[in-house]
Amino acid sequence: MIQKIINRIFKNDTLRGFIRKEFIQALRDVRMRMLLFVMPLIQLTVFGLALSNEVKNIRLGFVHAPNDIVAKHLADRCFASNWFIRPRETNGDAFQWIQSGDADAVLVVPPGGLTKSIEEGKGRLQLLVDATNAMRARSVENYVQRILIAYQKDTVTTTANPDRFSLDVRVLYNPSMETAVFLVPGVMVMILCLLTIILTSMALAREKEIGTFETLISAPVRTWEILVGKTLPYFILGMIDVPLIIAAGMVFFGVPLRGAVWEIALSSAIFIATTVSVGTLISTMAKNQQQAMMGGFIFLFPAIQLSGIMFPLDNMPAVLKIFTYLNPLKYFVTVLRNVMLKGGDPMVVWSNVGAMAVLAAAALWLSFKRFHQTLD
Amino acid sequence: MNPDFAVQVEGLTIQFGSFTAVDDISFSVKKGEIFGFLGANGAGKTTTIRTLCGLLTPTKGHVTVAGHEYKEGDLSIKKRVGYMSQKFTLYNDLSVKENLVFAANLRKISKSTHEKRIKELFAFLGFTHSDTTLVRDLPVGLKQELALAAATLHNPEIIFLDEPTAGVSPAARERFWALIRQLSAAGKTVFVTTHYLDESEQCDRIALMRTGKIIALDSPAELKKKTFPESLYELEPMSGQSQSAILSQLEKIKQSGAALEIQPYGMRYHVIVKDSRQWDLVKEQIKPTFSYKPTLPSMEDVFIRLVEGVDR
Repeated sequence: MIQKIINRIFKNDTLRGFIRKEFIQALRDVRMRMLLFVMPLIQLTVFGLALSNEVKNIRLGFVHAPNDIVAKHLADRCFASNWFIRPRETNGDAFQWIQSGDADAVLVVPPGGLTKSIEEGKGRLQLLVDATNAMRARSVENYVQRILIAYQKDTVTTTANPDRFSLDVRVLYNPSMETAVFLVPGVMVMILCLLTIILTSMALAREKEIGTFETLISAPVRTWEILVGKTLPYFILGMIDVPLIIAAGMVFFGVPLRGAVWEIALSSAIFIATTVSVGTLISTMAKNQQQAMMGGFIFLFPAIQLSGIMFPLDNMPAVLKIFTYLNPLKYFVTVLRNVMLKGGDPMVVWSNVGAMAVLAAAALWLSFKRFHQTLD
Repeated sequence: MNPDFAVQVEGLTIQFGSFTAVDDISFSVKKGEIFGFLGANGAGKTTTIRTLCGLLTPTKGHVTVAGHEYKEGDLSIKKRVGYMSQKFTLYNDLSVKENLVFAANLRKISKSTHEKRIKELFAFLGFTHSDTTLVRDLPVGLKQELALAAATLHNPEIIFLDEPTAGVSPAARERFWALIRQLSAAGKTVFVTTHYLDESEQCDRIALMRTGKIIALDSPAELKKKTFPESLYELEPMSGQSQSAILSQLEKIKQSGAALEIQPYGMRYHVIVKDSRQWDLVKEQIKPTFSYKPTLPSMEDVFIRLVEGVDR
């Protein structure tokens, strides 16, 4: 079946002509080449660097009694790690320390002191983290966790109680925390989506704007030939960008690729088919490139907000949650994170890819319905 | 359906919402004819031509082009006609060759056929630039000639040209019309719209459109004869005549009742004679001010008269 479709597409002179023409037009212009192949890398790098550079010089406050020896040792270890620095002293309590902005995190020992509570076999610590910056917050938690484990290993031989510490983390301001590695796949989705939607919708709108659209439809061509002819080239260009962006994510930010490459390829293909169809749908409503651009952004902004790339979807009001199910970005970012970071759970991959395929078919059908081979 | 006709239109009406762009027009175009569509902007020329090429759906009426009646979704007409719109039909950022190859691909013309055809068309146009030149680097006249080539790649029976010479230099316009005549001589039907009145003289027949209706349709010679059954004289002021002298003499002609109308024509005047006996008398009297000679009406005279006739 697929073989048949591929044959039909590539043996079709009209489509081959379209692909050649769109490629020449897209690749001849230096600005377009930059937009296609350099901008995604720059965007990814800028985003990634902005995320990872901040996680140093964390101001970590300690609330403990002066004679609490274990707490003191722990504090010394923290400041020796180069991740943490001492914040300005405060007179208020731990919460106010963060509220005032003087500390990024505060480690609070149990009442009566850490030394005493360990002797009692309880060793519970509380970590307050300012998570207005989620990335930073996640790192703070990780670092403190690591220092505690290291401290525990070093001291475990001297005591009878192996699990002396347990960290009770209270995340303030942003309960769902994301790390840079977690965010890079999201950035990839955004870049791919932006590129394919804007390019596709602009390409058709441009033909309308300069008037060549009239010549296109004056030829004996079928609607599907124009639609596929104008979208397939941008689908291919989008697919070329996928390995580029993923490679950049892996090289620059150490994002792992734990799952199978074919899972990425398949989900990317379905995702780009969806965005390219949405782009076409937008262009059927636009008379010129400006309108197409506007339409693209009207789709993109809410789509990014409701995708879970930046903000967790769990906290969204129920009304907005309904829209997230219509959002291809949500499904693709879920798949990409799952495949890249966790190795790809078949259930997650297939259910999300399936949902995207339904959306792609719907967008394609709608743009086919809306596309008129007449000029009114 | 008459086999001698390339285009047959019956009771065609095209409406956009409540606006009627074309209002119940009927006409036919003979095979091999150069058929001109004349009219001001907004008269409905482009709307009609787009409908004939299958780009607009008629609101009412029947359209038969190249032996096929218009049906929505049917490609038979599109296969047999060539269309050059008044907007850009070539891509500025593609080379001459890339443009023509794309036009050929669009119509699924095989590689061997279109390569041969492009060579023929270059010879026909006398195109000597490199075919790798980007279209944006060509002068407008040449772009239009290439657009004509792109519209005739598939050897259509009928070629529709919508204001092909708009914005083109006079020399290039003349060249373009020579190409149109060659196409017609080769047996093609050429349907051309223009608002250059001098160009319309080169058509075999002209339809004059005004606010969606055809107000006249005939050969240029017949139109002139029908519109001006009276004789027409051209008055040329003698050198050194003052404006007031000229105006008083013109007034004298009007007073005599000899002229139906006096129209300014550049620096000259056209007198449409109503009463030839009176004219014979009055023309002697104005001799010191004007030289006069009988003349034939131009298409401009015809156009003005017809349009005013409708307005009256």
